[in-house]
Amino acid sequence: MQSANMLLKKIVRSSVLPVAAQHGMKRDLFPLSRTLSLSLCLKQDNSCKPSEKLDLDAWKKVMKSGLQEEVSETVSEPQELSSLAGARETLEMWRLAGKLVPENISEEQLKTFTECPSKSAKKKYLKYLYLRELHKKNDKRKMEEKRERRLEAQEQTSKTDETKKSPFLSLWTSTMDKVYNWRAAQSMIFGQPLVFDMSYEKDMSVREVANTVKQLVQSEGCNRRAVDPFHIHLCNFKDDSLYHREFLKHYKEAWGRLLITVTEQCYTEVFPKDKLIYLTADSPKVMKTFDHDKIYIVGSMVDKNIKTGVSLARAKRLGLETAALPLDKYLLWNTGAKNLTLDQMMQILLTLKDTADWKKALEFVPKRKYCGFVSKPVSELKKTLDLVNTLKLGKRREEVQKQFAKNYPKKYKLK
Amino acid sequence: VQPPEKPLESEEWNRLRENFQLPEIFEEVMLNSMIRCNSPIDVAKSLLTHMAKRDSDVAYSMLVKYLALCVQQGHVSEMCDVYDIMKVRFKILEIGAYNLFIKGLSNSDQWRMALTLLEESKKIMIPSRTSYESCIKAACCHQEMKLAFELYHEMLAKDVVPTLDVLQSFFDFSRGMKGAELQKELFSILLYLRDNQIYPHKTFMRSIKLWFESIPGRNWRGHLTNMKDSGQCPVCNHQLEDSNLTEEEYSNLSERIIRDVIHGTDTFRKTSPQEFEAFQTFVENRVPFDIVIDGLNVSHIKPKKMHCENLRDAINYLAKDNVRLLVLGRKHMLLNSSNWKREIMKEMQTKADFFFAENISEDDAFLLYATLRSGKHCKFVTRDFLRDHKACLSDSLTRHLFRKWQRGHQISKAMFFSVFSQQPPFQYDCVVQTTGDTWHIPYKDVFEEKYSYEVPRKWLCIQQK
Repeated sequence: MQSANMLLKKIVRSSVLPVAAQHGMKRDLFPLSRTLSLSLCLKQDNSCKPSEKLDLDAWKKVMKSGLQEEVSETVSEPQELSSLAGARETLEMWRLAGKLVPENISEEQLKTFTECPSKSAKKKYLKYLYLRELHKKNDKRKMEEKRERRLEAQEQTSKTDETKKSPFLSLWTSTMDKVYNWRAAQSMIFGQPLVFDMSYEKDMSVREVANTVKQLVQSEGCNRRAVDPFHIHLCNFKDDSLYHREFLKHYKEAWGRLLITVTEQCYTEVFPKDKLIYLTADSPKVMKTFDHDKIYIVGSMVDKNIKTGVSLARAKRLGLETAALPLDKYLLWNTGAKNLTLDQMMQILLTLKDTADWKKALEFVPKRKYCGFVSKPVSELKKTLDLVNTLKLGKRREEVQKQFAKNYPKKYKLK
Repeated sequence: VQPPEKPLESEEWNRLRENFQLPEIFEEVMLNSMIRCNSPIDVAKSLLTHMAKRDSDVAYSMLVKYLALCVQQGHVSEMCDVYDIMKVRFKILEIGAYNLFIKGLSNSDQWRMALTLLEESKKIMIPSRTSYESCIKAACCHQEMKLAFELYHEMLAKDVVPTLDVLQSFFDFSRGMKGAELQKELFSILLYLRDNQIYPHKTFMRSIKLWFESIPGRNWRGHLTNMKDSGQCPVCNHQLEDSNLTEEEYSNLSERIIRDVIHGTDTFRKTSPQEFEAFQTFVENRVPFDIVIDGLNVSHIKPKKMHCENLRDAINYLAKDNVRLLVLGRKHMLLNSSNWKREIMKEMQTKADFFFAENISEDDAFLLYATLRSGKHCKFVTRDFLRDHKACLSDSLTRHLFRKWQRGHQISKAMFFSVFSQQPPFQYDCVVQTTGDTWHIPYKDVFEEKYSYEVPRKWLCIQQK
């Protein structure tokens, strides 16, 4: 009985039945092959049960038998594949082989994939797409869970049916937006300028430009929410450049309503030269205090392959003053490059502007990059260092356990 | 997970699976550990049978893992079966499976099939160097030298770098064979070693030696030797090629250094146009120098001494024989500080020419320019390996030239207490070289650690008696 069930299942799964039914011409072939596979399976089941001896090659028969019909079809089809379709097939095989490959891939992405110069570049690109897909899926799942929870909560409140009365008007985000925009508008008239130098497009890859713009969008957000925002200038900004296209992707129609100054001019044309200070990690000079009369310039560049001295060269060419953040003076540096992301720079500068407190400002440096503040006595610093080390070691033990899951990430994470 | 020792029934597999912490990846983990423990193939078969019965299908990744186990243990008929199944089940295969098939089949009497699979895999992607290696070795093994060389040339044409093993197998399998064509091909391999500055290891060297000595009627004799510092071979008294670049190479290198290292993408990154121009006129007015010194690098040789004293010692040592010195430094050295005393600086400036760059400029670039501009006899002193400058050069040919030039012109010194011991630059060029009736081949011991800047001292000298 059981074996008969299994057989039925198999026939349905192998999806031969509907396909073959469509192709009328093959109808006469079909019953023959079915009986053939039927007899095979029956035989194998029989051989297994009475004698305790295993049929080790049974899997081969299964693999071959379930497929004979399909073969005759695939052969008859014309086998001409375009390069893109070929790439798609390769990707599918990679996915089956358990490599990190996204499930869905658009034509555009497939084209980028085929244009990758080397094998490792291809692998890297696919892994990036795969991870992005994974994150998206996880986000979607979380959103749905959240919605369900909210619905549940609503049901419960509707049961109690008591709307709370509050003495205050509830402030909606649109109201907050108005306040922020008011402040930003004021900063455009009275605020201290902060320049982002947008002349690094040639020094970056497409991915790096995309990351830069993402960081700029975040910085703009921080600035808008600040009590006393900067007047942001995007200088050397070329219309229809890669920067511009990326900005449009993020802001869409809001790009035209943004309360910042965007100009094709260089900062040296907009401001007097002696007021400008170029912030760069390569600068030999260290910033001591935040000067409210100066205009600081930040290079809009994400530098993933360590091109030292690019922004310093730019400042040298224009004969501008340069400065670096006093990271070594205040922080016990641990790992990582001294160049910070644009939004971190923005947070630090905003805090400096408001409080002039380096310790508070440098809180925005990522914690993994430093061990502690230098202001503490040395013994305490050592303690934190030790603590960090033991934490790292302790983590390692956990990691061993997690390694297992790491080796098989797709199923584990998707759960 | 410990794989079982003998084939299991489906129920037993099911039980194992239920006890496993993540049942959905049980089969994957189990096959992986079978590969790791080199379990008997029957155990894997029973697992596949179990899977086939349950799902009436076996996933591609499982087949590949099973294939890996077959390749590991050399079950040729199983490989063929898996190939048949895969071919029927999937439209195309993926490169990993091809690599496994090629590796497995090339060791068997089915090696011709490996060749057809190599052809097939070319449709998807450039095959890996190991795939080529297996096929070439298989062809060599069956005395199909022509085919092997075809594959080898194809590999080079596709920019796949051959392993030393492949090159060695050519020499191993053509031992005692006659044929001008074959000989030419093997010489071309030796020239490949020369062009890419590759040094064979000891066993490879032995293969080369045996091949030479086995050529019928030619009477080649090989000897192992250590080269003299002068570059004269102790066995045949032949003088090795000297390390100087040719006129064309030299001008090419100077041009590329100015273009790629000093200017790069932006002259301002390392210096500024005004400063570079000032330096150029400074050098033009005073060339040629005999030795160019990296002042800051030399001044750090002995950490306990004052910086300027270190530099003074070096200058005094080098200034003996009326040589013209140029010292490169930075402007901060002129400020009277604890490490840089004004009187000592003044004293030194009478013995050597000095050029002080801006504090944020890179003086190494100037060092290279001044040395190259002074001509072939000029040497330079620094402990720096100049790797970052080499990396700025855009193609590997120029990088090789740079290394060769550097070997011939860099004086790096170790200081033992107060005595300078100079390591003289190499007089001869350390590459595979020939004069027609002699061959000189540098080689390294297999276990010898070698840094990229070091060159082997051991040589194989081959001459016709």
